[in-house]
Amino acid sequence: MQAVAFYILALVSVAAAFLVITAKNPVHSVLYLITVFFSAAGLFVLLGAEFLAMLLVVVYVGAVAVLFLFVVMMLDVDFAQFREGFARYLPLGGVVGAVLLTEIILVAMTVAHTGAAAKNALPMASAPGVSNTEAIGQVLYTDYFYLFQASGLVLLVAMIGAIVLTLRHRPGVRRQNIAKQVARTPKTGMTIVQIKPGEGVSE
Amino acid sequence: MGGIAYSNNPLIWSLLTLGQILLIVVIVLITVAFVILADRKIWAAVQWRKGPNVVGPFGLLQSFADLLKFVLKELVIPSGADKFVFLLAPVISVVFSFAAWAVMPFAPGWVISNLNVGVLYLLAISSLGVYGIIMGGWASNSKYPFLGALRSAAQMVSYEVSIGFILITVILLSGSMNLSTIVEQQNGGFWHWHAFALPTIVVMFPMSVMFFISFLAETNRPPFDLPEAESELVAGYQVEYSSTAYLLLMLAEYTNIVLMCCLISVLFFGGWHAPFPDDFIKTWPPIAAHLWALMWFVIKAMFWFFMVAMVKAIVPRYRYDQLMRLGWKVFLPASLVGVVLVAAWRVFGAQG
Amino acid sequence: MTIGLAHYLTVAAILFTIGVFGIFVNRKNVIIIMMSIELILLAVNINLVAFSAFLHDVVGQIYAMFVLTVAAAEAAVGLAILVTYFRNRGDIAVDGASMMKG
Repeated sequence: MQAVAFYILALVSVAAAFLVITAKNPVHSVLYLITVFFSAAGLFVLLGAEFLAMLLVVVYVGAVAVLFLFVVMMLDVDFAQFREGFARYLPLGGVVGAVLLTEIILVAMTVAHTGAAAKNALPMASAPGVSNTEAIGQVLYTDYFYLFQASGLVLLVAMIGAIVLTLRHRPGVRRQNIAKQVARTPKTGMTIVQIKPGEGVSE
Repeated sequence: MGGIAYSNNPLIWSLLTLGQILLIVVIVLITVAFVILADRKIWAAVQWRKGPNVVGPFGLLQSFADLLKFVLKELVIPSGADKFVFLLAPVISVVFSFAAWAVMPFAPGWVISNLNVGVLYLLAISSLGVYGIIMGGWASNSKYPFLGALRSAAQMVSYEVSIGFILITVILLSGSMNLSTIVEQQNGGFWHWHAFALPTIVVMFPMSVMFFISFLAETNRPPFDLPEAESELVAGYQVEYSSTAYLLLMLAEYTNIVLMCCLISVLFFGGWHAPFPDDFIKTWPPIAAHLWALMWFVIKAMFWFFMVAMVKAIVPRYRYDQLMRLGWKVFLPASLVGVVLVAAWRVFGAQG
Repeated sequence: MTIGLAHYLTVAAILFTIGVFGIFVNRKNVIIIMMSIELILLAVNINLVAFSAFLHDVVGQIYAMFVLTVAAAEAAVGLAILVTYFRNRGDIAVDGASMMKG
C-alpha cells in the first residue's frame, strides 16, 4: 500500500517537474510546479514528517506559488521569443544533466546501502510516543533557537526588501484618516444656518 | 467514525472510509442547498419581505430548482480563454472546499480523519482555495474578471494571516492541533468554552469576534464582497462563468461558509458540548450520547450561519482599500498582541 | 517491496537534475529559472527529510524548515526585483541588463 502511494507520488512529481520546464505557457508551468510541491508534501507524509508536509503546502503552494502566479499573470510578456534558446542548449544540457544524475545516484546508492542510515529499515520521523510537531518543537526552541530567530530576521529583511523595491508613491492620492473622521463632533461637522422662507442658501 | 469503523484489511478500510466520505459529502451538499435558501430568506426577513416562497412549500425546493436551472443552461466558454484552466478552476474550488471537511469533528469519534495537525491542514486548505479564484479570473481572458480575481485573492491572502494568528491562540490554549482534542478540552459547559473561559475571556472573546470577521473576508462574504459585487466589478472572477461551472463556484463558496461556521463553533464555542454540564449523558447508550452531541454541533453551526446571514443583510459594503486597511493595520497587530498575551498566560499563568 | 532510503534519494536526485536542466535550457526566461531554483531547493528538502526519517533524528527536518524559509524569502525578493526591472524597461529580457544603453 505504501509502495503504491510512493510510486504514484514519485512519478507524478517527476513528470510534473519535467513539464514545468518544457511547458509553453508560463501559467501552466506554475500550475505544474504546484503539482510538484503537492507530490513532495505527499512524500513527506509517507516519511512521517506530517508537520513539514503541511508547512510545505502552506508556505510553498499557498504563498510562493501564488506570488509566481501573480507575477506571471501580470507581466503579460510574449514568451515566444524565449523558446528559441531551448533547442540550442538541449544537447549540452542533456549531457550535463545525465552526468549529474549518474553521479548523484551513485553517491545516493552508496550511502543508502553502507552508510549510517542503512541500519534502519523503516522511516520514523520522530520517536514513537511523541507527535512529529512536538518532536520538532522540542528541538527547535532549545538547541536551534538562534537559527530560529535568524530565520525570522531573514524573513523580515525579505519583506522589507520586497516592499522597498516595489512601493511607488503616487502623487495626489487622497487617503482616508478614519480616526479623524470618527472624531468629528457636531461643532466641526456642521453649521446651522437660519433661512428666511422663500430664500435659498447662498454661499 | 475513525473509531467505529476500523479494519486492518486495507480493502475493507478503504471501502469504509469511502462510505464515510460519501455520507459527509451528501450531507454537506444537502445542507448547502438549504443554507442558500436560508440566506435568502433571512435577508428577505430583515428587509420585511418574504424571499423565495413559490417553489415547494415555503419555498423549500428553491435550491433544487436553481440546481436544475444551472445544470440545464448552456456552458459558454469565452473565445481566447484557456479551456483547460477555465474548466479546472471551479473544480479546484469545489475539491478544496470539500477536502477540508475531512478533519471536522461532528461528535465524539465522528471524524473521517483524526489528523494530529488538523488545524494546520485547514490552514493549508484555505490557502489553496485562493487558486480556484486566481485561475478562474485569469482563464476568462477578460479584464474585469482578472482584476476582480486579483483583488479577491489579495483580500483572501491578507485575512488568512490574521486567521492564522488567531488559530495559534487557540492552539496555545489547548496545546494540540487536533480538532477533536480542542473540542474535548471545552468540556463542562458555557464557562469552559474557549471564547468564554475566565480569565482568558478578555483575549479570547475578541479573538473569536475577529475570527468571525476574518472568515467573512476570507470567503468573500458581505460586507467584504467588493470583488464580486454586481455594481462594482460585475460579479468579479465569476462573470464569464455560466451553467455548471458557475454552480460549482457558488457551491464552493457556500461550502466554505458552512465549513467556517462549523469551525468557529469547534474552536471557540465548544464544538459538540452543550452549554450546561451534561454529565448525565454518560449514563445513556453511546449512540444516544453521540446524537445529543451531534445535535448541539448542528445548533451551533446553524446559529453562526444565522449571524453570517444577518451581517450580510445589515452591514454596508466595505470599500477595497478600507478592507485591506482593516486586514493589515487593525487585525494583524491585534491578533499578534493576542498571541503574545495568550503565550504569556500559558507560560506565567495558572498552568505554570 | 519496502520503500527504502535509496528510493527517496533517487526521486530527489531526479528532481535536482531536472531543476539544473531547466536552468540550462531556459536561459532567457527568468521566471522559469526561478522555478527551477525552487525545484532544486525542493529536491534538497526531500533529501534532508528522507535522511532525518531514516536516521531517526529530527534535526534534518529543522534544516528543511530553514531551507523552506530561505527559499520563500528568496522567491519574494527575486520576484520583486523582476517586477521593478519590468517596470523600468518594459520587458523581462534580462540579458539586456548588461548593456549600458537605455
